[in-house]
Amino acid sequence: MNILRYFTDPVLQAPTLGSMLMCLSAALVGVVVVLKRRSLLGEALSHASYPGVVISIFILAAFFPAGQDWLAPVILLGAFTTALLGLFAIELLERRLKIKNDAALCFVLSIFFGVGVLFASRLQFEHALWYKTMQVFLFGQAATMNNTHVILYAALAALTIAILLLKYYPIKLTLFDRDYAKTVGVRLAALDALLFVLIAMAIVIGIRSVGVVLMAGMLIAPAVAAKQLTHRLKWVFILAGVVGALSGFLGNYLSLEIPAWGSGLGWKFTLPTGPMILLSASSMSLLALLFAPKQGLVGRKWRIATFRWVSQGENLLKFLWKKGDSAVVRFTDLRAQTPYSSLQLWLLLSGLQRQGWIKRSRSGGYALTSDGVVRAGYIVRLHRLWEVYLVHLGQGVEKVHCRAEEMEHILTPELEQQLVDLLNHPKQDPHHQPIPYSERLP
Amino acid sequence: MDENADSAAVSVEGLSVNYDKTPVLWDIHFDIPKAKLVGIVGPNGAGKSTLLKTLLGMVQPLSGRIEFFGETLKRAGQRIAYVPQRSSVDWDFPITAFEVVLMGRYRKLGPLKWVRRADREAATHALVSVGMEGFADRQISQLSGGQQQRLFLARALLQDADIYLMDEPFAGVDMATEKAIIGLMDRLKTQGKTLLVVHHDLGTVHNYFDWVIMLNTCLIAYGPVEEVFHADAIMRTYGASGALIEEAVKLVRGKTSGAS
Repeated sequence: MNILRYFTDPVLQAPTLGSMLMCLSAALVGVVVVLKRRSLLGEALSHASYPGVVISIFILAAFFPAGQDWLAPVILLGAFTTALLGLFAIELLERRLKIKNDAALCFVLSIFFGVGVLFASRLQFEHALWYKTMQVFLFGQAATMNNTHVILYAALAALTIAILLLKYYPIKLTLFDRDYAKTVGVRLAALDALLFVLIAMAIVIGIRSVGVVLMAGMLIAPAVAAKQLTHRLKWVFILAGVVGALSGFLGNYLSLEIPAWGSGLGWKFTLPTGPMILLSASSMSLLALLFAPKQGLVGRKWRIATFRWVSQGENLLKFLWKKGDSAVVRFTDLRAQTPYSSLQLWLLLSGLQRQGWIKRSRSGGYALTSDGVVRAGYIVRLHRLWEVYLVHLGQGVEKVHCRAEEMEHILTPELEQQLVDLLNHPKQDPHHQPIPYSERLP
Repeated sequence: MDENADSAAVSVEGLSVNYDKTPVLWDIHFDIPKAKLVGIVGPNGAGKSTLLKTLLGMVQPLSGRIEFFGETLKRAGQRIAYVPQRSSVDWDFPITAFEVVLMGRYRKLGPLKWVRRADREAATHALVSVGMEGFADRQISQLSGGQQQRLFLARALLQDADIYLMDEPFAGVDMATEKAIIGLMDRLKTQGKTLLVVHHDLGTVHNYFDWVIMLNTCLIAYGPVEEVFHADAIMRTYGASGALIEEAVKLVRGKTSGAS
């Protein structure tokens, strides 16, 4: 029970649970950020929270030079304060100084972060112990989390979920159609403030385990993955939460298991948890982007390739049909007279043979079966009907052939019927070729 | 049912609106009686959409008074339904057609905004009345432009309002949808509703509307179509005198923003 160990082992339990809770709230809030189309906001706010961390540590270091465990919430409060200040600065830059949104975000990001680094470098020489604590917030460190952290994160995650549940409908309405939401009585200012507090809170809890630098990715990645998989807002939230929590777990699991596996092979190295969490989350969203059933890149490419394959087969049928119903054409002639390579041609022909449209004659050539004749005639029929239609629309007779080359593979029987009715059962195409007709639909 | 039966449905006085320092509407005034189908026409940038948004409280006016049935927006808000421009929302949003329509019931829901059976039935009914019942579970990006517009109308119908403010409902829709929308508007009018519709196509004003508001930053004319919608007023809205206003507005912007 290797996996269960992460939830029962006293050393592993706190970091695992802490990371999962933190990633859960970040992912839920991330859905709001992504749907608001303000993905960069997370980046700016996480960097804006850094000076808060540094300054509160700076102050704490003066009173408690040795460092104390229970001071963690104080540091988070400092981070939260400067994150809100950063938000306020962005608003100010946009509203008062008319600076574009992306410029304002970059401005705040770099200035706040710069101030943080400035204070941090001073601390380095005076309080080495506290400096180490501070570095944790920069790149994140899950391993040193304890039960105090877990309870705090659990409370904040519960609060996030509660607010999202209570305000789900107004949030949904506002994200979709802000103007309309106002007209049906949603109090936008209050809702915005609430959402911003949620965002800042999620960032502040998150930086402890993944760090200021990687936090924005933790907000965005689960939401992007979830959006690929569903068209329902409810499910976007749920799936993002699952992806978030799962990557929180995987980050801890992999950062321990991979080095353990490596040392078995005599290969010594360590993996930091924070980056592993982020890598897990972004791998999942990459997988979703590639393989989501409807919107995924692979699915789309596959459907395009299938369509091209079917079109090429149909073109071959047409080619044979034009040679005459019972003509036998040899492979070498097909190779010479069609644009396909030998391999492609061989694959197409064996595919058509398997489907029963063509047969191999004893002499080694290819000929249409009687089913194939009907099928090919139907494709030619669609081609010529479409030509008639285009000419009917007023297009030049010489141009219509190219357009019809594609449509013959696309037209459905319903559209065919509509064309026939509209064009009053035409018998000839614009080039005076007969339009084939068969009682049997292929 | 209406305690202010004699007061106008929409009444505007001395309304001026600036975006930043640029005047968009100058001293607009009109009174629209109940149960009228009103077209708002004017060239691009004349402030038509801004007028609707100001009526709805989305844009704060510089000065002026707006009343609906003699009451402020705050008190009359629930009697007003808004149909935004179709291009104003993200149609890739993860939501179904039915859910969009259901938003029209938002005000009627309790404090926790839980949707009840009655709300679902009402939403289905609204979808039927725009001929979209077969598309309830579609994701909204899979709908045509005309269908998306009908969805917005269904949502507004569900609000069961007395005043409907519509921003270019005919923009980019097919003929069938345009006819369906007009049919719906006429039906609403006969039910005693008042409709203010931002409109682009001057050729159809006579057929579609019984009143018209002609805007070009200033109010050019308003009243029954057959009385005010004449060549003279159209010229003043769209012609050379309209161009002069644009020039003046540009100058004002330069002076007040300190640009030159």
